[in-house]
Amino acid sequence: MKRKPTDNDPKGCVRLLTRLLRKNTSPARVAGFLVSNFLGLAIVLGALQFYSDANSIWSADDSFVKSDWLVINKKVTSANTFGESSDFTPEEIADIERQPWVRSVGRFTTADFRIYARMAAGNDASRSMSTSLFFESIPDEYVDVDKSLWRWEKGSKEIPVIISKDYLTLYNFGFASSAGLPQMSEGLMSGIPLELTLTSEDGTRTERLTGHVAGYSNRLNTILVPDEFMRMENAELGSGATRNPSRLVVDVNSPGDVAISEYLDAHDLEVAGDKSGASASFLLKVVTGVIVAIGAVITLLSFFILLLSLSLIMEKNAPTLHRLLMLGYDAGSVARPYTRLAVCAPTGALLLAVGCVALLRGSYLPALRGLGAASGGFIAAPCAGALITLLVIFFNVVSVRRKVRDSWRR
Amino acid sequence: MRLDNITLEGMLPRVFVSESIPDSEIWRSTATFRRGESYLVEATSGGGKSSMCAYIYGARTDFEGKLLFNGVSSTNFDMARWQKLRRGNIAYLPQDLMLFPELTALENIRLKNGLTGYASDSKIEGWLERLGIASRKDYPAGRMSVGQQQRVALIRSLCQPFDFILLDEPVSHLDEQNNRIAAEIIAEEAKTLGAGIISTSVGNHLLLHYDKTTHL
Repeated sequence: MKRKPTDNDPKGCVRLLTRLLRKNTSPARVAGFLVSNFLGLAIVLGALQFYSDANSIWSADDSFVKSDWLVINKKVTSANTFGESSDFTPEEIADIERQPWVRSVGRFTTADFRIYARMAAGNDASRSMSTSLFFESIPDEYVDVDKSLWRWEKGSKEIPVIISKDYLTLYNFGFASSAGLPQMSEGLMSGIPLELTLTSEDGTRTERLTGHVAGYSNRLNTILVPDEFMRMENAELGSGATRNPSRLVVDVNSPGDVAISEYLDAHDLEVAGDKSGASASFLLKVVTGVIVAIGAVITLLSFFILLLSLSLIMEKNAPTLHRLLMLGYDAGSVARPYTRLAVCAPTGALLLAVGCVALLRGSYLPALRGLGAASGGFIAAPCAGALITLLVIFFNVVSVRRKVRDSWRR
Repeated sequence: MRLDNITLEGMLPRVFVSESIPDSEIWRSTATFRRGESYLVEATSGGGKSSMCAYIYGARTDFEGKLLFNGVSSTNFDMARWQKLRRGNIAYLPQDLMLFPELTALENIRLKNGLTGYASDSKIEGWLERLGIASRKDYPAGRMSVGQQQRVALIRSLCQPFDFILLDEPVSHLDEQNNRIAAEIIAEEAKTLGAGIISTSVGNHLLLHYDKTTHL
């Protein structure tokens, strides 16, 4: 026959033990900890998660130029108009390369020949547009585009071209509407071949090619062709004179670095393309930092609430702890109810906080996506939360153990 | 591990260091307690008998000299080692009883017995009956008389296997009849286990046949 469970069984014994040790536990203090820890964690984790989600709006790669590549040129002043060159001398380039925030520097190559482009919509001459153009190229490693689209083989008469998005805007809203031409979407524009005529400076050599728009860039105010093509045509149609580049693409460690803007200001240089991203990203960092700091203070205070509550309970129960140890209970079983509280309370607060941040994220994410944020994972908040909670648990468990040891000999 | 002997070698409570203690057979001398034998330690109040019990049980360490278990000094014993001794080798009835006043008599006993799983329910019931407190077993210990509490604490101290039982003035609040019953129960248990008995007294001592009487 199975014996009826009584307090004589180890289980009943544990129940008695827990009853003794739970004495003086204040639900109000535990609730106080839960609320403050939840609040602190929710603020810290919410801010971190928002930062990690929103940061991609500004740090997201342009389709063609990575965010840590800056295109720089000299500021154009009237002196440049009257002959002073805005080119970068080899010494100036070497100086930039020496800066600690620079990983590498790529040079823009300009075309040393004339380009004439005609864009025809069918054979109707009245519906075609023609213009003088310029080409530039940068080393292929700085062009972040699908290599299959950005391929030019020697002898091919088809050339991929990347143009600035601004040019399309300029055409659609400036030129097309005033000249009575149809507006064009990016896709449509890419489908229309560009008839290109390349002529040497002296007009003796001419070459006809077809170009097609391989992509549009927000950050490159130029018309980009493959570097290899440029070098070959410069050799064939150019005057042979070597020219210094007037623009550089600089691969930097951190685009938000203050040292960069200081250097650029000191040397009268400017960054081409959208610069607002860097300052918005910086602002986001500052705001996140402030909010995280506030949340961290609350979290720290809540940590002390738990630490002090546990100390107070154990202090009040010290005679009980001592008597149990005198009976032969080991330190682990005597500490267990407190260790459990030290583990469960922060874990509970963490779960609540992560749940809250998940809800919050659900509400702001659609808006962020609308602004162009990449959909990253829900990783930052849970990871940071787990780390903070582990630290809180660790210090509280250590404190509980120390208190039990203190009760050993009174 | 079986504990065969406990030796007090030149032991002296630190508070006594500057005092002269005439005729003590324990302080500043060498005393050995052997398993299977019974000892009465007689003392005057303030003579340090409770201190001696606390030293042997590892509850206090404020003494000079050495405490040896099977010839091994206890100086470097850690908490786990002491707890093992307390669960399996040394039973202890402290003078201040150390009951949990909010628990009932039976719960106090089961708190120890649940740890060791030593005594059966019927055995505990038998002890309660014999000591005349069976009807009070569900009373909170704090509401019992000191004499009743003393009997509860005695039963609790027997709820474990032991090589020695330390009894610090075990019958100070018991009448002669209960004293005799307590002595019987303790002697039975000690005989079963082949254990040694160390009982202290300032006058009213446990009515047992002692192999040796020592003056503290």
